[in-house]
Amino acid sequence: MQYVIRRIAQTIFVVVLVTLLTSVALRFLPGGTDVLVVLKTGPGASPEQARQVISDLGLDKPWYTQYFNWMHDFVVGDWGTTFQTNQSIATAVKRSLPISAYLMVYGQLLALSTAIPVAVWAAYRQNSRFDRLSTTSAFAMLSLPNYIVAPVLMFFFSVKQKWIPFPSTYSSLFDDPVAHFKAFVLPSVTIALPLFAGYMRLLRADMISTLQSEFITTARAKGVTTRNILFRHALRPSMFSLITATAVNVGALMGGVVIVEQFFLLNGMGRLTVESIFRREYPTVQYAVVVLALIYVFVNLMADMAYAWIDPRVRARRALS
Amino acid sequence: MSDVKVVLDDDAPIVPLIDDAAPTKIRVRKRGRITKWLAITWLVFIVVSAIGAESLPYINHSCDQFDNRLECVTGTKANIRYSERPPAWAGFSDSPQSGEPARYGLMGTDKNGFDLFARSMLGARTSLIIAGLAITFGLAIGTFLGMLAGYFRGWVDVVIENLTNVLLSFPALLLAIFFVTFFNDPNTSSATTRPLWPVIVSLVILSIPPLTRLVRANTIAYAQRDFVVAARSLGAKGSRILFKEILPNIVPTLMSFALTGLALLIVAEGALAFLGLSVEAPTPTWGAMISFGTTPLRDGSWWIALMPAFMLFLTVLSINLLGDVLAQRFNTREAIS
Repeated sequence: MQYVIRRIAQTIFVVVLVTLLTSVALRFLPGGTDVLVVLKTGPGASPEQARQVISDLGLDKPWYTQYFNWMHDFVVGDWGTTFQTNQSIATAVKRSLPISAYLMVYGQLLALSTAIPVAVWAAYRQNSRFDRLSTTSAFAMLSLPNYIVAPVLMFFFSVKQKWIPFPSTYSSLFDDPVAHFKAFVLPSVTIALPLFAGYMRLLRADMISTLQSEFITTARAKGVTTRNILFRHALRPSMFSLITATAVNVGALMGGVVIVEQFFLLNGMGRLTVESIFRREYPTVQYAVVVLALIYVFVNLMADMAYAWIDPRVRARRALS
Repeated sequence: MSDVKVVLDDDAPIVPLIDDAAPTKIRVRKRGRITKWLAITWLVFIVVSAIGAESLPYINHSCDQFDNRLECVTGTKANIRYSERPPAWAGFSDSPQSGEPARYGLMGTDKNGFDLFARSMLGARTSLIIAGLAITFGLAIGTFLGMLAGYFRGWVDVVIENLTNVLLSFPALLLAIFFVTFFNDPNTSSATTRPLWPVIVSLVILSIPPLTRLVRANTIAYAQRDFVVAARSLGAKGSRILFKEILPNIVPTLMSFALTGLALLIVAEGALAFLGLSVEAPTPTWGAMISFGTTPLRDGSWWIALMPAFMLFLTVLSINLLGDVLAQRFNTREAIS
């Protein structure tokens, strides 16, 4: 229980720091507040206009007042409009979030559904040809950045074989499932490749140590079939670090796949943030980044909690130390 | 009686207890050794070629018909005659441009007619300088902060740990992009050549939190060891214990981690360059070369993007392999002692 409280306190501290840093980030822009005024009103703003812009952003108040006002707006959902085009920031984020979520879910599903059977079989037949092949290729995949995988996939599936249009336009899963999956299949594979490699290595190592424990020998002596030993007895106690890694990646994938989103022209959170950085739409950057960081922090908290809850040993060890 | 003698003799060699697994281990190690030497050879080749990219005899710049060769080599003057030629060995691939020569060089040429092999070597220079400097500074700062946090604990630890947590809670690439645009002066960024340091500084910032965490954990583990307690009871100062007792013990772990970090930073630099945020166009880097190659890739000119990608992949793979070899070696040593 003490562990849970400490973990929550830590999370709250990080959340406060993250929001504080992003809310006052506008003060530290190179070029100062003049840049913001020029961005908003164009060159040659009158002093009144300049003062108006500054006070709209809360930059004339002390930083703590600015922080509380900003937090209030953030929680209430009054996120304002973009600098140059006066579009609602909240709408932009709301439009991007599901695209990122789809991409994350498909990538994870693809990686997990392939990594688990491969890792189980590789661990069962350790040092076999299959094991060596899968471990080596996983190692190679970890050295393959997604800005290499994405063009290669695009070349083979959109240029050589014209199976998937490039760039494909996003459409909702419920309106047009075929177009939806066509738009998502290549990006998902690109994301899933390094995930697969990481998961496979993790699960294989844990599985090998599980398979050496006595209850596996007992199960074998009882005459349980290989398949049942692997998937019913050995898999579950070997999955803990895999679950943690999956959870950590949920947060990381939501905004961290900028390149894939940019290359395949999917308007996810990563692309929204980067395009906003490029166009100097600083308020949009603030909100998008805070949303991403909060997702990351909370998913990690949940994972740690679930981990302690599923595995009693973790609770005991942490209580002792 | 002979048993007693052995027990009393302090200099007696320690006899290994179990030696059953030895034959298979030797076989595995031998295979590892070959890949290790392949990796080292490749890295030496890349580093040497990167240093001498303008002058080494095996690097052909496709610039022979120019009077002022340097203009072409440095990428300021295009070489239209060789535009978009596939590699010499790729008999299956035709150039989208007509005219002689049909194919050129080991890796073909790009849109401006530059030899891609030569460009890749020039790109290796930029990528390696950026990633190498970044990991060096990151190691220095990360080690310092990690040792402070791990040895002194208390409020220093709390501050440093929370700062790393904050930095780690943003997606890494977004953070790097933010810092690069933040440090780049908006007025000069597109007109003149962009400086190297914003990229390096952002990569350093990116590499500090994980390194700090690693060093902190290791410092905590070593600070409780007997030899540190002994040094402290002899009256050694904090700085002496940190740098003379703890640091030498962390270095092996750090080295293998630093290699992995170098590979990650090369990839990260490539990512920034892919998004057009690294060094400006005439100076090649791997990421930017891949990025420029994606447009011709749609028309079937595969070599422009895939050849630099191949170089980057092999280099990152080699560094990762060496990091793995080091990690394995030091882990076993730790397990024995």
